[in-house]
Amino acid sequence: MRIVPVYRSLRPWRQLKSKDGYAFSPQSPESVVSVMNRFHWAWAGSLSGLLVIGAAVRADDRVVDYAADIKPILTKHCTSCHGTEKQKSGLRLDTIESARRGGDSGAAVEPGKSAESLLYQAVTGAEGIAVMPPKGQPPLTPEEIAILKAWIDQGAKAPAEDAVKGPVKGADHWAFRPVVRPAVPAVVTPAWVRNPIDAFILARLEKQTLHPSPEADRVTLIRRLSFDLLGLPPTPAEVDAFVADTRPDAYELLVDKLLSSPHYGERWGRHWLDLARYADSNGFTRDFARSIWKYRDWVVDNVNRDLPFDQFTIEQFAGDMLPGATTEQRIATGFHRNTLINEEGGTDPEQFRVESVVDRVNTTGIVFLGLTVGCAQCHEHKYDPVSQREYYQMFAFLNNADEPKIDVPTPEQVAAGMPQKREELRRQVAELEKQFETQAEAFQARLTAWELALTDDDRKKLPPEVLNAVNLALGMRTDQNRKDLADYYKKLPAARNEFPILEEILKIRGSEPVFTTTMIMQERGQPRESHIHIRGDFLRKGARVEPGVPAVLPGLPADLKSPSRLDFARWLVDPRNPLTPRVTMNRVWQKYFGRGIVDTENDFGTQGTPPTHPELLDWLAAEFVTASPPLSKGRAEGVAPHAEFSGAWSLKRMHRLIVTSATYRQSSNHRTDLEEVDAANRLYARQSRLRLDAEIIRDVALAAGGLLNPTLGGPSVYPPQPDGVFEFTQDKKPWNTAIGPDRYRRGMYTYLWRSSPYPAMTVFDFPDANVACTRRNRSNTPLQSLTLANDQQFVEIAQGLALRTLNAALEDDAARLRFAFRTCLSREPNAAESKRLSQLVSQQRAEFAANLKEAERLTPPLVPVKANVQEFATWTAVARVLLNLDEFITRE
Amino acid sequence: MHPEEQQLRTITRRHFFSDCRVGLGSLALASLMNERPLLAAPANDRQTNPFAPQQGHFPAKAKNVIFLFMAGGPSQLDLFDYKPKLQEMDGQVIPESYVKNKRFAFIKRDAKLLGTRRKFTQCGQSGAQIGDLLPHLQTVADDICLVKSMRTDVFNHGPAKLFVNTGSPQFMGRPSMGAWVTYGIGSESKDLPGFVVLQSGPRGPRGGSPLWASGFLPTTYQGVPFRSGAEPILDLASPPGIDSNRQKQFVDAVNDLNKLRLGETQDPEIATRIAAYEMAYRMQSSAPELMSLAGETADTIKSYGAEPGTPSFANNCLLARRLVERGVRFVQLYHTDWDHHGNAGTELGKSLDERCREVDQAMAALVKDLKTRGLLDSTLVVWGGEFGRTPQGEPRDMLGRDHHIEGYTMWLAGGGIKVGQTIGQTDELGYYAVEDKVHVHDLQATILHLLGIDHLKLTFRFQGRDYRLTDVAGNVVQKMLA
Repeated sequence: MRIVPVYRSLRPWRQLKSKDGYAFSPQSPESVVSVMNRFHWAWAGSLSGLLVIGAAVRADDRVVDYAADIKPILTKHCTSCHGTEKQKSGLRLDTIESARRGGDSGAAVEPGKSAESLLYQAVTGAEGIAVMPPKGQPPLTPEEIAILKAWIDQGAKAPAEDAVKGPVKGADHWAFRPVVRPAVPAVVTPAWVRNPIDAFILARLEKQTLHPSPEADRVTLIRRLSFDLLGLPPTPAEVDAFVADTRPDAYELLVDKLLSSPHYGERWGRHWLDLARYADSNGFTRDFARSIWKYRDWVVDNVNRDLPFDQFTIEQFAGDMLPGATTEQRIATGFHRNTLINEEGGTDPEQFRVESVVDRVNTTGIVFLGLTVGCAQCHEHKYDPVSQREYYQMFAFLNNADEPKIDVPTPEQVAAGMPQKREELRRQVAELEKQFETQAEAFQARLTAWELALTDDDRKKLPPEVLNAVNLALGMRTDQNRKDLADYYKKLPAARNEFPILEEILKIRGSEPVFTTTMIMQERGQPRESHIHIRGDFLRKGARVEPGVPAVLPGLPADLKSPSRLDFARWLVDPRNPLTPRVTMNRVWQKYFGRGIVDTENDFGTQGTPPTHPELLDWLAAEFVTASPPLSKGRAEGVAPHAEFSGAWSLKRMHRLIVTSATYRQSSNHRTDLEEVDAANRLYARQSRLRLDAEIIRDVALAAGGLLNPTLGGPSVYPPQPDGVFEFTQDKKPWNTAIGPDRYRRGMYTYLWRSSPYPAMTVFDFPDANVACTRRNRSNTPLQSLTLANDQQFVEIAQGLALRTLNAALEDDAARLRFAFRTCLSREPNAAESKRLSQLVSQQRAEFAANLKEAERLTPPLVPVKANVQEFATWTAVARVLLNLDEFITRE
Repeated sequence: MHPEEQQLRTITRRHFFSDCRVGLGSLALASLMNERPLLAAPANDRQTNPFAPQQGHFPAKAKNVIFLFMAGGPSQLDLFDYKPKLQEMDGQVIPESYVKNKRFAFIKRDAKLLGTRRKFTQCGQSGAQIGDLLPHLQTVADDICLVKSMRTDVFNHGPAKLFVNTGSPQFMGRPSMGAWVTYGIGSESKDLPGFVVLQSGPRGPRGGSPLWASGFLPTTYQGVPFRSGAEPILDLASPPGIDSNRQKQFVDAVNDLNKLRLGETQDPEIATRIAAYEMAYRMQSSAPELMSLAGETADTIKSYGAEPGTPSFANNCLLARRLVERGVRFVQLYHTDWDHHGNAGTELGKSLDERCREVDQAMAALVKDLKTRGLLDSTLVVWGGEFGRTPQGEPRDMLGRDHHIEGYTMWLAGGGIKVGQTIGQTDELGYYAVEDKVHVHDLQATILHLLGIDHLKLTFRFQGRDYRLTDVAGNVVQKMLA
């Protein structure tokens, strides 16, 4: 091997260049040779101790062998930072495949072109490239560099066996291992076991010689089930019927009845909407209204239909890409349209488009994979096997959609031919607009004159987008600004007088049928290029990436040439994917028991808490993805199991399984014997008392007050809220407080402004809808007390309950108290409670007898019991107390 | 113990079963209660009082913070940072070297430099440079510390405001500074929220509630907006027909019944709720008392330029003093409309004059008043916006400047701050901070430091990561410390 020694060093080169202005191309080793030959070796050597010595080999000298020559060099110098353990800058050099692919800055090796190969440039210290190995590490010897160069120039060949992937780091972490259905454990007291869930729970308790709590009483059970499955309280009549039901499967029958209620879809649909970060406005500073409630209704409908979770996922991710996609399937893609839109002036649209895609990736990671993939947006994930490259590979799946809105005419509108009618009207308008173009110049002149004549006061009256346009110098206006301005001017009487055709256009437009719109994803014909964003900065594009999934998880089908968003969705719910079913089942469990089997429901990675009951979690996950008939222990002979709950990925089947377990049915009372051993109730030797969710508090109160309007779906509504809510927002939001039936709709239908969410729900930890919420806080604060005690809607509810109580034609105070108490809490008051409440009744009656004016103030004008305001006020005061009890807003 | 669990334990620490004395009000209950012992918590328990004051990581220099947030981004070049060179080059296109690869909200890279039309004075012993638009502030020059080398990361209002408040420019559920602080060290106020937000100016701050959100911290710690008027907190007033006495009867009945249920279920959450109802009841009288300015002399009110009953920044400054006096930990005042791009109502002439008139007297009075009352030593006052404004002008109808993130001015006063000094400098055009650069994360680290909190240690485990206000950056600015 003939080696021509060449000296190269970054520092002397820079000196040389600056002193002599010497033109030198770092990409050309030949010029390096010639330049370096001008220097005395000894001088060059003494110039700097940091000299990296390079060498050039003639490519035809001999064939370099990857395994014998190259791999040892890479192992010696490179793979401690660019290998299986660490992949700095996203680069791995331990396999030929990954070396060729390169890292964040692009391919490391350009076969045949050493001078253009980053690897070679780095070890030779080319200008603008970080010298490798870094300072403090021994540099490559001239021989090593020469061999590397020769190998690249010879085509960077390597035997195929090296392309075989080594094990991915972290693959042995429990959550990444395949779900294997574990055997159901044997227990000492099998009599307690109602279904396999209980066996897992009991086996663990027995290990610590703990015993489960007794089953809660029937009143508590029906109340618990109603809250958990519907988010509504049972009526006293329903309670009585269940308590009196002597059938052995009374409980299971109740569960089936509740699972079939349309309110089940509202309750569990709303849980899903937390994850989907659903709201009715765009967020950021302007926070304008958006129309996407059709997506909300899609969720409720399909939860009610028990659309299998795999299909539920696929439609929301890529419903638009399904063959013959229906309108409903396209509406479903609203899932990833619930991202924020920045309408502030002076923003870069691409920056915020990219931010939404980033949010979609992060949301996907959290919701389906239970992984904090967002950490890999800027750098390699510190703890979990998700590289920055893999992050942007997932990004690439979601980067190819346009984000339009579509019209969704109602069936009645369709039947009446409205869409065609509108098309015709639009055609007419287009024609007129074409005619109008001939007058464009005259129009522009008028518009300019009008604009110049605007006074300060005039300007103040302009709508924001028009004012924004007017405020910009001509050269700074965008097409949108010009359009906003022209559109506004066209509608002014002056313009319409001057140009009668505008009048005509406006008239036709005014007669167009209006359809509800919704926001959807729509795949582009031509995909966008996706790159790694260096340090997460969308302006700093690194290597180009193609769609792909993290290597630690089962791969995409091998025969996929260019995987799409639809393939990504299918991969998420591929039964081989161990995370989606585990994460989903864990979140379901969390809703029933207050916390997940994995406490960190949003982090199944190595930093998360390990599952308390790993076998149970896997059993649930395995059960979830497999079709099987529901378990029917306890079911009476001859009662058929619900056929529709038997499919794979059926959530109703899993709900049924969990709520029919003995574990779920335990009492939630605290046990002093558990305080030391299991204060956090992680072993489930009892149920947990859980404060109700924000919107459910409103719902149960409305139900108790007899005011609830149970209508499902439709546009969001404006229930009463205190004055002053919009003092702290940039713009005052429209809020036409409902005075009709919409005043008392379920909380989940409340219009959700991101910059000023509905205070009575925010105060009870309703999510802010800026990012996916996988678990709600359960805070307990004085502001909650003020809301329940004083908010107008809760006062109305107390009045409603007072009215019901007085109208129930009951014989005495005791009966009235019992009625109101049972309406609120389902159970009978005990002696101490009755006594205290009786005191309250007498006290308030005396109060209002002495202050009739005050009693009148507490009585709304239309109440029919006006004749006796004293009684009405008294019972309103009593109702108010009941509606404020901790127990009233708690699932026990 | 796993950090997540540890955290959980801290939050939900429960001592109820060892300490059985009544600590909650003086309700005559004994006859109603079963024979089971009453459950109560020690006064400092976070389960019953999430704002129970906590020790920081080291002794605090300041107890409370008043953050005067000038929303929109005041022009440092017209208020603090006088640049002769900029005057000289007024009207010339900015040299390309300054703006290469830079993005702006509105202007282009070939925008022209704009010298200030304002006068400046060297003030106080320290000779701090303060614009003549702020004559009152000039009189307290030796009580403040000017920082002329502020830097931030993002140039749109919403993201930039969020960045100052939460350490992240994205609306992604991060807690705000006031939430972090009250989560970390609680609040000494017994009957007012620990983190209060006030607002003045023609509109609310852009971004809305995420600016004072609790993010992934318990919701308890989110900022409570105080509206103007006698009832600053939503739903503070009892319903019509319910006077204070009947409200007390209501609270007593609710709590008596809750105590019975507590005896039954032994769930400490009920004890927390009992305490919450008691505090809510106290708030119903303490908050209107606060807002009424009761006890303030006419001279004091006048010194702020406040008018009782008229919402204003001046009123809010006085309220801020009253709030910290009552132990409220973190008070944030937004004053909007500093976004002076150069149109009618948003220009550096009349509009800037008006903004300055609205804040100048009151903020100077606040510093003086706190000092007179001996509260300045324990109260940190911070003044500034989400960014500053460009040395380039904007081609609009009137004088204006675009959003600027590379160098702008803020000032601090009070607890633990080395006052009577100016920190940092920008270059000759006032473009880049070049000396003692203070990044927003540094400011955040310093504010926490003054409160006795190590910004590296005040963390919360969320989604597998220990998050902090300062993200992965931030250095305490030693020069700021007294």
